[in-house]
Amino acid sequence: MESKHVNQQIAAMRQSFFDEEVLDEFFSQLEQLEDQNNPNFVEEVFTMYFRDSTTLLETVEQAMKTISITLAKMDKILHQLKGSSASVGANKVLNEINKTRQVLEKGNLEGTKAGIWEMRKKYGSLKAKLEPYFQLKQANSVPQEK
Amino acid sequence: MAPTLPSSDQASDQDNWDNGRLARKRQLLIEIVLRNRLTALVVDGDTTCRVLEQLLLRSYGVQTQGVDNGRDAVALIASGVKFDLIIIDMILPVLNGLEATRQIRDMGVHCKMLGVTICSGESERQAFLAAGVDVFIEKPLDPEHLVPILRELDGQ
Repeated sequence: MESKHVNQQIAAMRQSFFDEEVLDEFFSQLEQLEDQNNPNFVEEVFTMYFRDSTTLLETVEQAMKTISITLAKMDKILHQLKGSSASVGANKVLNEINKTRQVLEKGNLEGTKAGIWEMRKKYGSLKAKLEPYFQLKQANSVPQEK
Repeated sequence: MAPTLPSSDQASDQDNWDNGRLARKRQLLIEIVLRNRLTALVVDGDTTCRVLEQLLLRSYGVQTQGVDNGRDAVALIASGVKFDLIIIDMILPVLNGLEATRQIRDMGVHCKMLGVTICSGESERQAFLAAGVDVFIEKPLDPEHLVPILRELDGQ
């Protein structure tokens, strides 16, 4: 019974990610690649995504504190973040990246910096939502019998 | 590019859209059966993208290898390793995707090459096609684009 309640909680959390447009259909695609042989696949992918994205964000945030930051440097990082965010279905992060790149293409350095900070917030929010979701899923997963 | 959601009556439209697209993708993921053992090289500098593209291919039974830069891709092909399919990003470390594609084609390699990139402009598309890719796909790679190509390579 308790497991059923937790399953409902997990399902509700998952649905909220789509309702709030935090995630898109590419997240669903990831879920379909998960199987018995690889039951934590989605969590592993997001662990990889969060690790690499956090590094990129720290790099760009450090660079933004210096006077040597250029639009080209920021664009390179945004480009990388865009690809991985789109691939995992991180919809709101992706939207913010797209908005920021539009500002960047107009040559607006300060506007681009502001956009990156905004994107950082969306990214932080995504991480804050997904990490407890994966923890709950893992805690509720039935151990495989040998 | 991530598809946009319908804006009217958002809750029910979103459920229908998500359930419909999910059902279609599930169908795509389980429907295809390849008769032949296909091989693919994935060239992408981003770990998440490269891993996901390889996993998607493997879910269809395609044997894959991955490299994270254009120079290693060219070196691998030059060493004589053959692939049925090469998936390559435009922006790559060391040697970019356009130049890597040209060099691979200059070696006389005629296999199917998919340019899968986050760059979505027409000029980028034309440049990548001119460099030698057969198909230009905006990231992320999805079954709707991939399955028909795999079927074609499989002779279905």
